[in-house]
Amino acid sequence: MVRFENVGMRYGPGPEVLRDVTFALEAGSFTFLTGPSGAGKSTLLKLMMLAEPPSRGLITLFGNDLAVTRRRDFPAIRRRIGVVFQDFRLLDHLSAFDNVALPLRLAGKRAEDYAGDVVELLTWVGLSDRMQARPPTLSGGEQQRVAIARAVVGRPDLLLADEPTGNVDSDIAQRLIRLFAELNRLGTTVMIATHDRKLIEATRAREMRLVDGRLVELRSGRA
Amino acid sequence: MSEVKPSGRILPRERGAAPLDVVIAVMAFLAALALGASLLADRAALSWREGLEGKLTVQILPPAHGDAASALVSETNAVLTILRTTDGIVHASAISQADEIALVKPWLGADALVSDLPLPQLVDASIRPGAQIDVAELSARIKAAAPDSMLDDHTHWIGRLKSLADTVIFSAYGILLLIAVATAAAVTFATRAGLQAHHEIVGLLHQMGAHSGFIARAFERHYAFSAFLAAAIGASLAALVFIAAGGLELAGLEPVPFLPPLSLAPREFLWLAAVPLASGLIGWATARLSVLAFLREIY
Repeated sequence: MVRFENVGMRYGPGPEVLRDVTFALEAGSFTFLTGPSGAGKSTLLKLMMLAEPPSRGLITLFGNDLAVTRRRDFPAIRRRIGVVFQDFRLLDHLSAFDNVALPLRLAGKRAEDYAGDVVELLTWVGLSDRMQARPPTLSGGEQQRVAIARAVVGRPDLLLADEPTGNVDSDIAQRLIRLFAELNRLGTTVMIATHDRKLIEATRAREMRLVDGRLVELRSGRA
Repeated sequence: MSEVKPSGRILPRERGAAPLDVVIAVMAFLAALALGASLLADRAALSWREGLEGKLTVQILPPAHGDAASALVSETNAVLTILRTTDGIVHASAISQADEIALVKPWLGADALVSDLPLPQLVDASIRPGAQIDVAELSARIKAAAPDSMLDDHTHWIGRLKSLADTVIFSAYGILLLIAVATAAAVTFATRAGLQAHHEIVGLLHQMGAHSGFIARAFERHYAFSAFLAAAIGASLAALVFIAAGGLELAGLEPVPFLPPLSLAPREFLWLAAVPLASGLIGWATARLSVLAFLREIY
């Protein structure tokens, strides 16, 4: 599903923020990515979501060696990845409903075909009464849930989440983790970057830890 | 479910580039004025040429000695006889004194003294369209029959008027070109400024797997319409100026003496519609090229 071999990453002339990162994610696996702030977690996720090219090394996604994959094939690869951004990146001029529906629109689906799925998902994340609200009128936690719903609505093959429970209370956090687990049970490969030890301890998932840009596997979990 | 209203829009409805839209509207106003002026110059040149081409004028000066009045009459009759019997000339007539006084009135006024001036007798002749007249031979025959006459086939004036008309037309085209370039630059600038404000949206759509064409389409429609609308307002104001000029002329006022009417014909107004259409096209192309260039820059 995902394979990194000796991947290094630096921004411009700066120091390497990732060094010789090598790992593989099997299809259907559930992995936590941990590490102190500045260790390179967000950068690693950016490489996995095709937001940045690596400075060196080999990345393979869904069987595509990115070094030789044509740029015009990237959009199709990106649509197989759901992303929960740390800063949510919601579109302020669209309602919660339309933000969540965006990946389905990009996939060419019609509103009458996806409206039911979007409503069901927003209800699941506890936003049934906030569907028409725009992000600036939502609380941080509500925005985070919209961002999560947007990431999972297309049932992606790979879900990447950067601190997805950072702004919600523990009840909601548990509910969101159950959502990720359900998605994982249906076949989605999940990687969550988090500091939340309670979240990690509550599952028996694999944990990879980044320290100074180097990867250390702490725990190999159950897929 | 019933309360959920999906939006068809990807871009925000609010538009942050209002001052630039005003610039586009003003540039479009000037472009439409220059376009209308070039149409008027073209029409003026044509009417000037048509007014002189195919015409001959014989001027018979009053003889300085003898019985000037009777000599003038006999020379005029001789000239008329020659002209009327020349193949290719369809009409020849002497201009009456009243008409001659009317001709000099704009320059000399209608004072009683004008009638005392020794005005030359003018004979006006029309050439059949397409007929070839040997002007030198005709001039010699007329000179022989009427020694105080001069034949003028207006070649000199037509040449000078053509130069003047060409200068006016090419000046109008030059101004039109400059304003068109400035308008294109304003539309391009407005579009790029708008895109700058929406980089976040472009980046997110790109990250979510939208094809470049999908993102470009969302922007090109938006900016093509914005540029079209702003330019349509400017061009409409210019059209109002030409309509007002036509209204002045209908009311008997002549905004610019010696020039043809400043009002545009209905068919010529259609040309003004080219300004917003071109503006919309520039907005469309700029948005598309800018979005595609931005997307090429990011991974």
